[in-house]
Amino acid sequence: MAGIYVHIPFCKSKCRYCDFASFPDKIGLAESYMACVYREMAMRAPELRDYAFNTLYIGGGTPSVIDESYIAMLVAAAKKHYSLSNDAEITIELNPGTVSASKIDLYKRVGINRFSVGLQSANDRLLADLGRVHTLNEFITCAKLLKGANFSVDIMIGLKGQTPEDIGQAIAVADMYGASHISMYALTPEDGTPIYTDYLNGELPDGDEVAEQYAFGVRELKKRGFERYEVSNFCKRGKESRHNLNYWRRGEYIGFGVSASSCIKDVRFTNTFDLDEYFKCIISNHFAVIDRQEISPAERRDEYVMLALRTAAGVDTAEYEKLFGVSFAAEYAAAIAKNVDYLEVTDKSVRIKDEYLFVQNTIIIDFLES
Amino acid sequence: MKKPNARIRNFCIIAHIDHGKSTLADRLMEMTGQVSKRDMEAQLLDSMDIERERGITIKLTPVRMFYTAADGEEYTFNLIDTPGHVDFTYEVSRSLAACEGAILIVDASQGIEAQTLANVYLALENNLEILPVINKIDLPSARPDEAKKEIEDVIGLDASYAPLVSAKEGTNIGEVLEDIVKYFPAPSGDEDAPLKALIFDSYYDNYKGVILFVRVKDGKVSVGDRIRGFRSDKVYDVTEVGVFAPGMLPKDGLFAGEVGYIAASIKSIQDVAVGDTVTNADAPAAEPLPGYKKVQSVVYCGIYPLDGSKFNDLNEALLKLQLNDASLIFEPDTSVALGFGFRCGFLGLLHMEIIQERIEREFNLDIITTAPSVSYKVVKTDGEQLYVDNPSHLPPQSEIDYMEEPIVKADIYSPPDYLGQIMDLCRDKRGTFISMNYLDANRVQLVYELPLNEIIFDFFDQIKSRTRGYASFDYELKGYSRSKLVKLDILLNGEPCDALSMIVHEDSAYTRGRTLCENLKEAIPRQLFEVPVQAAIGGKIIARETVKAVRKDVLAKCYGGDITRKKKLLEKQKEGKKRMRSIGSVEVPSEVFMQILKTNKD
Repeated sequence: MAGIYVHIPFCKSKCRYCDFASFPDKIGLAESYMACVYREMAMRAPELRDYAFNTLYIGGGTPSVIDESYIAMLVAAAKKHYSLSNDAEITIELNPGTVSASKIDLYKRVGINRFSVGLQSANDRLLADLGRVHTLNEFITCAKLLKGANFSVDIMIGLKGQTPEDIGQAIAVADMYGASHISMYALTPEDGTPIYTDYLNGELPDGDEVAEQYAFGVRELKKRGFERYEVSNFCKRGKESRHNLNYWRRGEYIGFGVSASSCIKDVRFTNTFDLDEYFKCIISNHFAVIDRQEISPAERRDEYVMLALRTAAGVDTAEYEKLFGVSFAAEYAAAIAKNVDYLEVTDKSVRIKDEYLFVQNTIIIDFLES
Repeated sequence: MKKPNARIRNFCIIAHIDHGKSTLADRLMEMTGQVSKRDMEAQLLDSMDIERERGITIKLTPVRMFYTAADGEEYTFNLIDTPGHVDFTYEVSRSLAACEGAILIVDASQGIEAQTLANVYLALENNLEILPVINKIDLPSARPDEAKKEIEDVIGLDASYAPLVSAKEGTNIGEVLEDIVKYFPAPSGDEDAPLKALIFDSYYDNYKGVILFVRVKDGKVSVGDRIRGFRSDKVYDVTEVGVFAPGMLPKDGLFAGEVGYIAASIKSIQDVAVGDTVTNADAPAAEPLPGYKKVQSVVYCGIYPLDGSKFNDLNEALLKLQLNDASLIFEPDTSVALGFGFRCGFLGLLHMEIIQERIEREFNLDIITTAPSVSYKVVKTDGEQLYVDNPSHLPPQSEIDYMEEPIVKADIYSPPDYLGQIMDLCRDKRGTFISMNYLDANRVQLVYELPLNEIIFDFFDQIKSRTRGYASFDYELKGYSRSKLVKLDILLNGEPCDALSMIVHEDSAYTRGRTLCENLKEAIPRQLFEVPVQAAIGGKIIARETVKAVRKDVLAKCYGGDITRKKKLLEKQKEGKKRMRSIGSVEVPSEVFMQILKTNKD
């Protein structure tokens, strides 16, 4: 299993919490940028000839902000240069304020079969606070256009002045309009983003309150039939994001575009975050990689365990033994014994108990070697 | 009988911190052409990093100078540096024993301070001639006449002839040099008598072995001589003798009256201890010089390696430090919470801090130190007496008849404005008022008797902060006194933590326990479970706080680009965790063990 990620670094405007590579004022460069992405895909193709890819994820930024024909070309390029399976999961991220019936129609026609919609909140005041460009109504319009399609909705917790009702309402709206998957993220105030000042001024809920909101959200989601399969991801049966599951199973993936990360064999590499630099590299027929790290066997085991323990299923001990040639139970006996109260250990898997998933870092640390 | 060279002057300088001792020493060296100005590092005598950073002198660094006096003769000056801090009284008495005279520096704007006085009395006890020098006359606030009057009133020395100098600007240094010749006596002794040399310091050199710093009182010592100390039978062949120029300058021999060093491939500092007398093994002197009082530890604490596997490294570090600092004592100790480490004895709090800092800096070891403690006398119900400095070694309460604690006599000098605050503090610290003397309109001397365990925590800081730094303070150990003492235990998650237990006075136990629990609650990171922090006396809980369980500790998003970041985050968290100790199931950062020092928040 392997995935392809493509980063579209354009937006209508930048949200106050956004820490991603996105350039709202450079949207005029979209055409050239996409040309470079197709070119980068072609450049990378020879070395990945033997790979079978089964997911394609178009993220951002806001992929839906650029002309839909560029997206159509992108999917075509992916299919042309890589062996993408017929039943591949192809996802695109949508901002409700940037969609139209024709756009979604074209997406569907070119084979996009999964949509990820950024709702974040069902409260227009909170949306405005976050700097989102859409309202609740625009989300409803968007969801109606997606009716019958497989789509996911992102919502956020940990917002300034957010109440449990706000969270419950966002979940209810997503469910009512047919989402099969909900990602519920705690806001992470990153240094350098406007929202970081809110954090510095103590305006955001503290960790205890966020934990409270999270627990509340998890209960609401469960009531509506959304099961948690990763700390921040919930879905109806069988509707997991295959692309993201691949990350948590420490699968391989190739990323294209500004800031995209890749993990191929045991090498991790990341493209430049600078748009101009990206252009220059690709036009001169060079990759735009700025960071490249070889992963040692010990690091690989660490990554595998760290990622698996994020998921509700936890570590599949048989798979671990197959991959690394040692028994998980024996290798991590001390860490398991120390955290026995927080783990559910069976002969098939080791997972962090539901109630401790939100404090997983402390537990995972004990499983790291390097 | 052959008298020593009459043109030698051996002297030291006594001064309060910041009154300009090192600056004056530098000036004397400069004026005698000992060091060219260009070569001088900021302050020559203080050669350890810590000494320079803190502006204090710890080790004794002697230096030799030549001075051609007004009488046309060339004199040899041996300046033996003295530490100014109260903790190092022992070292002061060592340097005094090697001298005939002492320069007393008094800051023209500050007058006499408590520590200066203590050292002056030591010098007088040693029959040293004292030359008062009034320094910093360049300051606008200088009041040289008042400083002189204080010297006369407080110490009873005639200060009318005291040179008025500015060591910083080099004013009147020549007068000091002349006075050294004029007022300090030439060394006495007999060059023809059997060798008697007082060891006033030593240090360990990797190539030459232990280097002895000596003052030759009688006889002479040369390369090739066989020497021994009075306290041991081991005989050594002298490989090198010399003087401090500064820096070691080899010579053929050292004669009565001179100050210098001896190297004799001595491997262990224990064989030829500081304070011992060196004599010639083939023609020994009948008896040693009077030694000085044996060093006594006043403050104790446990030192443990942060990384348990570094126990041997820590042992090595302590041994090496002890080579240069005989006043440091240590023995292996074990703590349930901290593992294997050492119980160490120090001359005082500053000495303790310096040793801790040197271990971390010079040996690059991360250590955990327990709260300082004093040595209590315990009388058991069966009549047995013992001294306990580690609270966890205290016998069960039921076996203790009574306990005694060390008491000090404290001298506090302060402007009268702050008397109220100082007296409040002393009362809080269970002090007994002894006397109060007005030295002049601006300075009062207060004498209190205080339990030592009350002043090892934050007394000095409190004095300084309550008097805006105007008061000075010194103390000397007076003896033991019976007291109602109890052992205060700290329980984390129900388990006693031996490294956090302490011996306190019954009356302050409750307050201490409560403050301690509050401080620990702040210092202990939240764990995955709720941690009760309790203080107890003899099984009875007297205070309780709770460290709530952590509820959020997760990276919300972790996709392709986040994996490396998440890994780094966890590695950092793990690094922090490595600096923690497990006490039962509770993980506690090493800083927590120092938290118990903070007894008050004001």
